[in-house]
Amino acid sequence: MEPFFVRYRNLLVLLALLAVQVVGLAVQVHRADSGRMSLDPRDSGGVRLIRLWASAFVSPPERLIHSSGLDLLDLWQNYIDLRHVRQQNQDLQKTVDRLRLEQAALLEDARQGQRLQALLHFQETYLYKTLPAQVIGSSGTTQSRVLYIDKGTVDGLQHDMAVITPDGIVGKVRDAFSHASQILVINDQTSGAGVILETTRIRGILRGNAQGQPQIVGIIADNRIQPGERVLTAGGDQIFPRGLPVGVVDKVVRDPQRDGFINVIVKPYAKLDRLDEVLVITSTQPRFSPDQQQDMAVSQALKGAEVQQEEAQKKASAIMAERLPGLIDPNLPPDQQPLHDSTPPVPVAHPPQPLRPDRFTPGTAPDLQNSQPGAPAQSTQTPQRNP
Amino acid sequence: MPVLSANSRRELDIHRFPVLVYALVPLTAVVLQAWLPRVLGRFAWFDLPLLIIVYFALGRPSPIQGTVMGFVLGIFQDALTQHAIGINGIAKTLVGFLASSFGVRIDVENHTIRVLLVLFFSLLSSTLYVSVYRILLGLSLDWNWLDELLKAAGNSILALALFPLLDRFRIRD
Repeated sequence: MEPFFVRYRNLLVLLALLAVQVVGLAVQVHRADSGRMSLDPRDSGGVRLIRLWASAFVSPPERLIHSSGLDLLDLWQNYIDLRHVRQQNQDLQKTVDRLRLEQAALLEDARQGQRLQALLHFQETYLYKTLPAQVIGSSGTTQSRVLYIDKGTVDGLQHDMAVITPDGIVGKVRDAFSHASQILVINDQTSGAGVILETTRIRGILRGNAQGQPQIVGIIADNRIQPGERVLTAGGDQIFPRGLPVGVVDKVVRDPQRDGFINVIVKPYAKLDRLDEVLVITSTQPRFSPDQQQDMAVSQALKGAEVQQEEAQKKASAIMAERLPGLIDPNLPPDQQPLHDSTPPVPVAHPPQPLRPDRFTPGTAPDLQNSQPGAPAQSTQTPQRNP
Repeated sequence: MPVLSANSRRELDIHRFPVLVYALVPLTAVVLQAWLPRVLGRFAWFDLPLLIIVYFALGRPSPIQGTVMGFVLGIFQDALTQHAIGINGIAKTLVGFLASSFGVRIDVENHTIRVLLVLFFSLLSSTLYVSVYRILLGLSLDWNWLDELLKAAGNSILALALFPLLDRFRIRD
């Protein structure tokens, strides 16, 4: 048989602990004067010791937490904030990505708008009628430098129409389809355009070389050609109007096939490898802008006024001539004219005889009519010197 | 040679922990319980020492251990207040004893049972506390049972995370 304390040790321990605490509580509580129970405001020695121990256990870790700055509120708030920040960060990242795409699209639109604006301005101010077109493709090889634009015969494009940009010439329409056209660029080896050097006025034919650089071929070596000189279209090829900018002289190289000839490498004004929009000259008939037409009208008006003024002046002169007395009166006989002079004319005074006649004296020259070629010279009669 | 009651399944499932865990976990619980309400204010709807008492009492079917742990932690909590020392002590002592007794008879590995037990012991602890305060000591105390229900619910939710965490410290044979 188990001892009583062993068998009921659990319950005994419980009761013991409860009893201790009840006694402890009884010590801490006392009856107030009013008859109600209340806690002793001042702890007894034992209770104070317990509180001291508890504080000694708890305070160092709390102080450690406090000194290490691990404020849980901040931690909690930071956690919450970080959760929100993470979400916000994801949202903002998405927004940034979206805005970047939009910005890129807007930037591209802005650039295209600027290009189109410049193109439109050029088109409006250009002398000839042009049609804007979008470059939609290329040949894809470096051996064939052609472009494709989105305008064709439906839009009025034809073979051999000049293709330009506000910067300079691009090429010509090599083939026009219904809704697209093939452009032969000036740096292709099979292209050709008549050009002229602006300063030296040397003419040549522009075509591309193997490196895709436009060059002027067939020029006799000339030291006056220097890099930087402007190259313009000459207008003789029936494609490009005269005076369009082509580029500048980049360098001069010897023609490897012909002695005494040079090739002038040209740096084109138009960005041939980055073309987006071009203009096709559809008509070479000059067209004038409203300002120009107004100027011409004003000029014509001024010219008409000048003619009228001249006629008015002539008319006034005639009237004045009728009113003023004339120098010859048709109604009077010649001897009664206002300017008639009845005095005898003064006889012509003969020059006096020279004191010493010489070979310049009249009458001393030899008779050339009777002289014969090869005959001995006749002795000139020397005039007698007067004593 | 110690004799284990072979016919007791529970004695074979005794939870053993390193000594350091027995020392540090209750201390940490008391420290956090003293510190977190300062941080969380009125939202500190939990009683960490109670959770520790219940956890260790359920894991070791030794009423003495549960009782002693309840006693110590209860006194500790009382010592950190201005109230009389022993109020929480009595409540927690009884909870520790009952939890140990429950651990002998039911399967405490089930999370649902754990949560329900925590909910029950939380309400029991609150009831004991109020009873001791008002009946045994005859002191007046304003009481809001809604707060105690919230505290019991908070303890149950916290137990769902805390108990598996403490299970990781168990020594497995």
